[in-house]
Amino acid sequence: MNSYVPILVLGALSLGFAVFSIAAGHLTGPRRFNRAKLDAYECGIEPTPQPVGGGRFPVKYYLTAMLFIIFDIEIVFLYPWAVSFDALGMFGLVEMGLFILTLLVVYAYVWRRGGLEWD
Amino acid sequence: MNTGLTLAAEFETPSVEYRLLAPMLIVFGVAVAGVLLEAFMPRPFRHETQLGLAVAGLLAAFASVVMLAGDYSVAASGSVAVDGPALFLQGAILLMAIPGVLATAERKVDVGGVFAPAGSSTPGSPAERLLVAEKITQTEVFPLLMFAIGGMLLFPASNDLLTMFVALEVLSLPLYLLCGLARRRRLLSQEASLKYFLLGAYSSAFFLYGVALLYGYAGTVRLSGIAEAVSSEAGNETLLLTGTALLTVGLLFKVGAAPFHSWTPDVYQGAPTPITGFMAACTKVAAFGALLRVLYVGVGGLAWEWEPVIWGIAILTMGVGSVLALTQTDIKRMLAYSSIAHAGFILTGLVGTDAVGADGELLGVSSVLFYLVTYGFSTIGAFAVVTLVRDAAGEATHLSQWAGLARRSPVIAVVFTFFLAAFAGIPLTSGFTAKFAVFSAAWAGDARVLVIIGVIMSAVAAFFYFRVIVLMFFSAPAPDGPSVVVPSPLTTVAIAIGAAVTLLLGVFPTYVLELAGLASQFVR
Amino acid sequence: MNAVLLASPEVRGFGADPWWLVLGKAVVIFVFLVLMTLFTILAERRVVARMQHRIGPNRVGPFGLLQSLADGIKLALKEDIIPKAAHKAVFVLAPILSTAPAFMAFAVIPFGPEVSVFGERTHLQLTDLPVAVLYILAVASVGIYGIVLAGWSSGSTYPLLGSLRSTAQLISYEVAMGLSFVGVFLYAGSMSTSEIVAAQGDYWYAVLLFPSFAIYVISMVGETNRAPFDLAEAEGELVGGFHTEYSSLKFALFFLAEYVNMVTVSALATTLFLGGWRAPWPLSLWEGANQDWWPVLWFTAKVLLFLFVFIWLRGTLPRLRYDQFMKLGWKVLIPVAIGWLLMVATVRALNTEYDFDARQVLIYGGIAAAVLIGLTFVWDFVAARSRNAEPPEVTAEWDPMAGGHPVPPLPGQQRPQLTVAGTTAGSTTQTEDHP
Repeated sequence: MNSYVPILVLGALSLGFAVFSIAAGHLTGPRRFNRAKLDAYECGIEPTPQPVGGGRFPVKYYLTAMLFIIFDIEIVFLYPWAVSFDALGMFGLVEMGLFILTLLVVYAYVWRRGGLEWD
Repeated sequence: MNTGLTLAAEFETPSVEYRLLAPMLIVFGVAVAGVLLEAFMPRPFRHETQLGLAVAGLLAAFASVVMLAGDYSVAASGSVAVDGPALFLQGAILLMAIPGVLATAERKVDVGGVFAPAGSSTPGSPAERLLVAEKITQTEVFPLLMFAIGGMLLFPASNDLLTMFVALEVLSLPLYLLCGLARRRRLLSQEASLKYFLLGAYSSAFFLYGVALLYGYAGTVRLSGIAEAVSSEAGNETLLLTGTALLTVGLLFKVGAAPFHSWTPDVYQGAPTPITGFMAACTKVAAFGALLRVLYVGVGGLAWEWEPVIWGIAILTMGVGSVLALTQTDIKRMLAYSSIAHAGFILTGLVGTDAVGADGELLGVSSVLFYLVTYGFSTIGAFAVVTLVRDAAGEATHLSQWAGLARRSPVIAVVFTFFLAAFAGIPLTSGFTAKFAVFSAAWAGDARVLVIIGVIMSAVAAFFYFRVIVLMFFSAPAPDGPSVVVPSPLTTVAIAIGAAVTLLLGVFPTYVLELAGLASQFVR
Repeated sequence: MNAVLLASPEVRGFGADPWWLVLGKAVVIFVFLVLMTLFTILAERRVVARMQHRIGPNRVGPFGLLQSLADGIKLALKEDIIPKAAHKAVFVLAPILSTAPAFMAFAVIPFGPEVSVFGERTHLQLTDLPVAVLYILAVASVGIYGIVLAGWSSGSTYPLLGSLRSTAQLISYEVAMGLSFVGVFLYAGSMSTSEIVAAQGDYWYAVLLFPSFAIYVISMVGETNRAPFDLAEAEGELVGGFHTEYSSLKFALFFLAEYVNMVTVSALATTLFLGGWRAPWPLSLWEGANQDWWPVLWFTAKVLLFLFVFIWLRGTLPRLRYDQFMKLGWKVLIPVAIGWLLMVATVRALNTEYDFDARQVLIYGGIAAAVLIGLTFVWDFVAARSRNAEPPEVTAEWDPMAGGHPVPPLPGQQRPQLTVAGTTAGSTTQTEDHP
């Protein structure tokens, strides 16, 4: 596992830098209280009060997220397959071809049903 | 450094016996083709094409099951067992799926079909009213059904626990969706769907945890490997027992056995009625098939440990199902509790592990196989009848609305009475032969107390079936009671198939009983 | 069939550095990235200024070289505001979560071959993993959390919308990006960055797998939220996007993370497609070009080339509309990537199984695929033009208060003759109805 230690070193370094910056920004900056400054920014108009997270999101984003998961899982299968492709030979090609073909059916369905439209 | 490098031996190409897997491949192929049809076929032709494709696919798959009969081996590198019980149950599921799909496709009883025009529209919204006005039907139900059926075919045939888990998910996920798509009472339907999904996910977690523990015990997920580990008594006993228990909980949930039955009434009531019938029949068949395989093949050497537990669960399930059904006022909920009670009766047959018939067949297995077939066909028929009794709000499922139904429609009342008689186990119906088979298997397996309790419970259960019969024939109909709709040939055929099989297996059960006996040997 | 190298926990030659070397390399990478950021910000301003016939910042230090540093110090001296409605802990955590992964992704980027540092033989690369590229993708995905949480925790409308958009954008283009890597893994037979560079001795993958390269370059611009895909911070619609409510050094951290990410994706493009630290063609004729410290120069030059492309794009292209952007990602890049992948796999399998020389096929196929991509754009353009040829006829009469808001007339609608205010009773009652 030695090859993972340097990653932790770099991670600690960058994490330290980020934390330090935030702490430093807190100390070096002035603090002049002004109620308007603490309000949510809304182009000069009185901000509409709203819950943290803004309540509900358009369903479109969920759809995109679900599609992403489908394709990302495809990629998860593709990577190890690609790395050992030469060993798998024709068998690997045919099986992955079938898998991708099935996914393309889903893709065609989503496309035709307007799942990829954004309006 | 480079000490971590390992050189693997030659890569072995996994074998895929396409011929042995043909039934499943056909069904899955039809499902995928159905998705393509949804994408590219113009809407007006979709419904008929999808229906034709689905029925043709089911028939083709059944034909391939018949051709495989007698040819037992393991396929796909040992992860799928093609043996007697698997093929018998696959055939049964495919045959039951045909009336199931037909009833699902009914569009005359309710204009536009039993499904919501679009599952994603908000119930009662203007968008929904617009879709209803345009008579749009959701035809995605056919591919969903076919995916569910494909999973059900794989479930009792899976020879390792991971394949079984994949099959479990493949069969469950489409069902969760289908439950939430009812056209009438959409909120109830969506609630049912969500309940089913949450509890189903919960039980899947049990199943998966059991798989993990059994893997920890045996070092393999292959059922034969687990059986070997059990017989050599290697490994940690605690892991084995806990793993088996968790795995069984996951399966008993799907079967609908008490105390894991609580989802059944709500889901059966909320789901579109043809889907309820399909689910009650086919899911039960598939889940019992998997349970049989796990208990007989995987941990068969452990029968001393699990038999008493199944005993207890069988008694509890029969009791809960029969007694609670007495208190129900909704016909769908009553049938749901009846299905729980039947799960209990089937579990009774499961206990007869030592029972061996005259020709060396395992009576425990063959009686369960036979019971599943009889119960499945009767259930699909019964639920199809329920769809026909309607008033302005949709199906009239309250028992009081069924009063005096015989005067409005004698035929429907007689057919329903016949199904109820089969559920009660009256002679000359298939229910009688099936109950006789499981009880005699349990008797031969020295579970005599269980048999006596079973018989008592059958009597209790008979009471509430007869209450409905009395209500239909000897009560005065309410003036604003529901009417009986004349369905299209689709539902008629579904009911006819259900009634015919119920009658045939009641009068001439020998052939199917023999077939079940021949099919009672597992491949390991 | 051949014996295969199964998943080994470590790549040959890595994981054996002494602690001081690890620390030194980590610090050098960190400093390199910060300097690159400062330099890129300045370069961007100067180059874009040149493109727009301006001069750009040239006052602070020689040629304005210290401008970015001065900006940083200025930000540090600004007030650190946490809005009242914000979820405090998450609001502070978000910039950290955005910055740290951006740096960490660079851990597996190879700067050069094996060299000798104070008598120690070591690779010019902090570390390498058998799954190095997967590691980069994973760490980059953690960075997305920073953006989501920043928008979510601000308790304000614009940041929330900006972060949602940004997330949808990042995940959409991550699919195309992930697919474009598969061809490289297929040819290199490894996901380790050093082995991928080693496998590019004869051909760079940018030549051999040109469509993969093109898809990666497009999606890497989308991944970094840069023009013309900088919809998450479209000023006209969303003010600053997810970092609208951030000020002082917290804002600076987001800025830093964005530029570090630019450097990272450029370095990844260099490693996977442009032969990494290998010298480009005429230089590669000199044997010493790929030895000792020289490759660091080639590597940096290639990274700078990509950074220049980023700046060039920003100076040239207008921002896409959101639907166009998603359409490009989902309807063009993904299917092209999948189709190309199938072709690469088929050719490769024919090559290994039947000794079929496939390089030519791949190169020509790549050109054909590139032409096809071009054609889809043309087709899209033509289709859009024919769609827009006739403005839709609006027959309904103009309702000035449609939907309860004052609206202008649509094309085809007539604006009625204006009357002088106050002369008719109708106009005054109308204003009273809708205050």
